[in-house]
Amino acid sequence: MPATSAITLVMPEAVDDAVAALAEFGPDGAPLAGGTWIMRAPIRGEARRSAYVGLGRIAALQAVDLDDDEIRIGAGVTHVGLVAALSDVPQCRGLVTAAAKAANPAVRQMATIGGNLAAWEFPASDLTPALLSLEAAVELRSPGGTERVSLERFLLRRRAVEPGILVSRVVIPRRPLTTGHARLPLRKAGDYPVAIVSAAASMDGHGKVDDIRLAVGSVEASARRWPGLERALLGARLDPASAQELARERSGDFAGRDSVEAPAWYRVQVLPALVRRAVEAVLASPR
Amino acid sequence: MPTFLTVNGEQKVSMRAPMTPLIDVLREEFQLTGAKNVCREGICGACTVLVDGRPVVSCLVPVGSIPNAEVRTVESLADDGELSPLQRIMEEHDVVQCGMCFPGILMALTSFFKECPHADKDEIRAALVGNICRCTGYERLIDAAVALAKSS
Repeated sequence: MPATSAITLVMPEAVDDAVAALAEFGPDGAPLAGGTWIMRAPIRGEARRSAYVGLGRIAALQAVDLDDDEIRIGAGVTHVGLVAALSDVPQCRGLVTAAAKAANPAVRQMATIGGNLAAWEFPASDLTPALLSLEAAVELRSPGGTERVSLERFLLRRRAVEPGILVSRVVIPRRPLTTGHARLPLRKAGDYPVAIVSAAASMDGHGKVDDIRLAVGSVEASARRWPGLERALLGARLDPASAQELARERSGDFAGRDSVEAPAWYRVQVLPALVRRAVEAVLASPR
Repeated sequence: MPTFLTVNGEQKVSMRAPMTPLIDVLREEFQLTGAKNVCREGICGACTVLVDGRPVVSCLVPVGSIPNAEVRTVESLADDGELSPLQRIMEEHDVVQCGMCFPGILMALTSFFKECPHADKDEIRAALVGNICRCTGYERLIDAAVALAKSS
């Protein structure tokens, strides 16, 4: 495990330079965004890399662009930055709630969207389920160019991302969705949620659900969609109580994870109530 | 490699390794011991300082990641010998107990009141979610902050 004094940190000002530095360091290096996960590696008993490529001086990673088709978010945008940039976008209500409630105010100033998605060891990310419910994609920059992959696919492969590949942007397709984000921390705020449910839905002319995506975070090692419950909710009127009941019937779809904060069974037990709250948030959200 | 910073208006150079947490640079290299080194994992808020105007937990900021940044610590609040309005109201309400969390709370609130000078009690509580007081002196602290918001 390298001592702090032996670790290299470079601070490039362009994405290409960052990617080149990552490629040069190879498996000994990694990107460093907000630092809130990597700086705690020694506390978790994890070895740090011998070199980091800091992203905080790259202006291109701080941009948020909106057009009619998609929202493109630079990987270096912080939780506070997301709230500032997307508060007026109805489709992003759930994501903005996630960004505004995660962790604590100081960490929200530092922790970035790209870091949140790339930190595969971190199960309690608020942004990940919110972005899954929006069917977001991730742009990966490498010395060879840019590749866009769905967030779902990225989550499966992120643990083994090759050296030299950088999460550079997160892209949200624009859809007429209403969204909601429900989380259960053990305190009222400031700690990791036991479980998270993010929902995004659209209704047809008769008020029936014609598109719905539900994503669950913090219950298992990585956030994932809940396709069984999505199918059960499709085609009917969205109703919080019946959504809770349908979630209860299907809560066996999740195994739960044990940790010092909460046992596995508890995380699964609270899921139906969080589904109800997420659906309530969707129904209360502006169209 | 040296890191150049402006700390409380003064030009400073840190010679510590770039991954050194900013809190260690402030306390050990610059002898600014106001920010407290407590949990070192971004939960307690005792090391909160402003970096380019943003409140951050300095235990999680590698000094090399903020070249040329402007850092403000609690020592800057009464720079000219006059307490800031926030410090004054905290003294009037006799808020300080052991003092460990207090510099971080002052910096978190200094930044928060700049954005939301008329905040209500719930907003102030939410702003202090990341500042833990082991003496549990929250109520007087919140009352003092509410009084400041009402008077501004």
